[in-house]
Amino acid sequence: MSTNLSFKQIEKFKADLDRCTKCGFCMSACPVYREERVESSVARGKIMLIRALLDSGLGLTDELAEQLNRCTLCRTCAENCPAGTDVPSVIAAARADKVAEKGVPFPYNLVFRWLLPRRRLFGRVLRFASWFQGIFLPKTEGTIRHLSFFLSALGKGRHIPQIAPKFLRESVPEINRPPAGVEVKYTVGYFTGCMTDFVFPELGKKIIDFLTRNGVEVRVPKAQGCCGAPVFLGAGDFTTGRRFADANVKAFKDVEYIITDCATCASAMKDYAKFLADNEARRKDYKEFGDKIKDITEFLVDVLKLPPSAYRTAAEFRGKTVTWHEPCHLGRYLGIKEQPRKILDSLKDIKYVEMRDADRCCGMAGTFSIYFYELSKKIAARKVADIAATKADVVVTDCPGCQIQIIDSLIQHGKPVQVRHIMELLE
Amino acid sequence: MLDPGIIEKLRRIAGKENVLTSKEEMVAYSYDATNTWSHLPDAVVLPSDAAQVSEILKLASEKGVPVTPRGSGTNVSGGSVAIRGGIVLCTTRMDRIIEVSRTNLNATVEPGVILLDFQEALAKEGLFFPPDPQSFAGCTMGGVVAENSGGPSCLKYGVTKQYVLGLEVVLADGRIIKLGGVTPKNRTGYELMMLFTGSEGTLGVITKITLRVLPAPKAEQTIVAVFNDVAVAGETVTEIIAGSVLPSKVEFVDNWTFAKFRGLLPDDVLDRSQVILLIQVDGLPETVAAETEQVLRICQARANGVRVAEDKVEAERYWQARQSHFSDISSRAHTIVNEDVSVPRDKIADFIRLSQASARRHDVPISFAGHVGDGNFHPVVLTDNRDKEHYARALKCVDEIIEAALSLGGVLSGEHGIGLEKQRFLKKAMDPQAIEIMKQIKGVLDPRHILNPGKIWEE
Repeated sequence: MSTNLSFKQIEKFKADLDRCTKCGFCMSACPVYREERVESSVARGKIMLIRALLDSGLGLTDELAEQLNRCTLCRTCAENCPAGTDVPSVIAAARADKVAEKGVPFPYNLVFRWLLPRRRLFGRVLRFASWFQGIFLPKTEGTIRHLSFFLSALGKGRHIPQIAPKFLRESVPEINRPPAGVEVKYTVGYFTGCMTDFVFPELGKKIIDFLTRNGVEVRVPKAQGCCGAPVFLGAGDFTTGRRFADANVKAFKDVEYIITDCATCASAMKDYAKFLADNEARRKDYKEFGDKIKDITEFLVDVLKLPPSAYRTAAEFRGKTVTWHEPCHLGRYLGIKEQPRKILDSLKDIKYVEMRDADRCCGMAGTFSIYFYELSKKIAARKVADIAATKADVVVTDCPGCQIQIIDSLIQHGKPVQVRHIMELLE
Repeated sequence: MLDPGIIEKLRRIAGKENVLTSKEEMVAYSYDATNTWSHLPDAVVLPSDAAQVSEILKLASEKGVPVTPRGSGTNVSGGSVAIRGGIVLCTTRMDRIIEVSRTNLNATVEPGVILLDFQEALAKEGLFFPPDPQSFAGCTMGGVVAENSGGPSCLKYGVTKQYVLGLEVVLADGRIIKLGGVTPKNRTGYELMMLFTGSEGTLGVITKITLRVLPAPKAEQTIVAVFNDVAVAGETVTEIIAGSVLPSKVEFVDNWTFAKFRGLLPDDVLDRSQVILLIQVDGLPETVAAETEQVLRICQARANGVRVAEDKVEAERYWQARQSHFSDISSRAHTIVNEDVSVPRDKIADFIRLSQASARRHDVPISFAGHVGDGNFHPVVLTDNRDKEHYARALKCVDEIIEAALSLGGVLSGEHGIGLEKQRFLKKAMDPQAIEIMKQIKGVLDPRHILNPGKIWEE
């Protein structure tokens, strides 16, 4: 069968596509394969499907699209691959070629192409939605509520934190200087990401406060937008992805470092150059932009080089047992494994217990958890069991996406464990 | 194409979600880990228990539909490829570890359990199951038994067949039979269970497995030695074993894979060497210390460099480098032909020399790795099956390699099995009367030849 389809993005990763020897090392590690135990779930199967798409005219069917989407891009396969096959990139590229050919389905097209890029409007829609959260749906626990009317189109009854009454961008100035008498060591831009901006603004304030007290001038450019991960990595919409990338690059032109509190945002933005650069100028801009990005724990430990004594436990967590969930994007994508653990080790007033397989995917993976909610919850159930086994009072992580997934899953399993960002532990 | 009525019946037996028929799913079940064999099945069924397997096989027998049993499909023989189409019966959803007994030193599992998961479950109890094929992170226990898997640890501990105590098997006509038991000794009638161990899915579908397991060794040590040439390495192994040390593993890689050892071993030593031996001794800490000392002394007399791993992390790096041989070689050629012969230990050097001479004659690249301790080798010929002339030369070289192994008293396959990949050599490698008896046994157990047809012998 001949085909007229174009596979521009996949072709970029042709070497990876060819590298797979079908040995099956990816099998025991893949969180999706672990639940489904069918070949189309696992990296090897997806590679073979993409090869069939290119070589034998398999066709960009809805089923193939579903198989491409049925992956958390957790990167465990790549980490375990003796041939070094970058499977997640091949899959992301295949998603992009699919979108270039077939477009993004409703309602995602509306959200990705129209709503997400309009930052203020997006905020207003969320605010509007948050009123309905309170009116129509019962409170589940503290500030955690059922997903509201608008987002329930995407979210299938998930317990998510309430949309904040006041967004971070409305609460802090664009320039935040260290207090009088503290020398300015660095000037950084703070990429807040959608979740910290709209849902966890207190986390953002805490980070700004901690950094400024430690001699860092923090800029929060109003022109920044979404990192684009759900759009270009999740949905394969590279055209819209480029709009986000360009806006963010422009917003952070004048800083030494760009700090993030979300491993997914950091990793996605570092990947602009890999996926979205379609000309030399963009390649250069994206590369320079990417090189400036530091995850908050990486910045504190490797750049600021704070001594252990600089980390003190906030009053509400003193005496608690704490465990750490390592986001896929932090450990496997950015290679940041030691830094958050160093911070946890420095905190004298907590008992830090490492959970089993702390680096195993929680199953969130953005749009994956919307497309495949049940599957996402099965993957999360293993995480819940590992958290519960540590008997921790608090599980901390470094990705608000993981936080939402773990909050939802712990509630569903009736486990009263708090879920926080690692920076929230600090005084 | 399968009759829609048959698909409907399969759905009724196994549940709708456990019967796959789409083109995409068929593509995903059309291959194994070889790069030469593939064929689309017509349907894939993922049963949940022996009763369902039985119903599926009854149906297939009645309709004469080929059934290819399959686990993870990590085999390297073409054995799990549905070469005649029909049904792929995939056992990956039968994945319970039923029992692990420290007292009885045995464990009972369903066929879909991944070997690595089994090993982890045993490790929690201080136990271990020695066979460690390279596919351990994906392969299933059903496949381990049906292929009679080996691996590096088999030097000291033997292959899968030494550990099978009991099996539950579903025959082609749907009868569920229990063979063997749970005790290490069992002299009741013929060893029928052994027929299914290594049967490559041609005689029945294994639905439950009881295995003998061992207490995990208390300590282990890895020694790495780098040699000028393979003959010296081979003599070293012979001397180690002659000195009454039986290492748990003795592995060998040639300089094609040296890049993976750069940074781990000194460059100047690697630059003037051809072969690396990886040796592991295990047992009680005092035994390990004494045996390490002895191995070290023997290696030092002949090797260009010897290194005893300082800790587990360092040892793990060497073993990972060894494991990467296959993928490393695969990445350097479009097509690789990976052989699996086994020769007597004292013929290792002869075998390698003959194989290298053949590769030179046919002007094809060849690389060697393998379980040198037990004489089981993986000579890999690098070629490109799109280049007909090169591929033909490569296959001639492979023929000669196999001839060489057989002429030295070796066997065609040490651990991969015959499947499709080695069929054309079977007549040379096995007594023709024995092949005839195999066919008769097949006729008794699977008279309609529905189970994995087209495998092992040429038809």
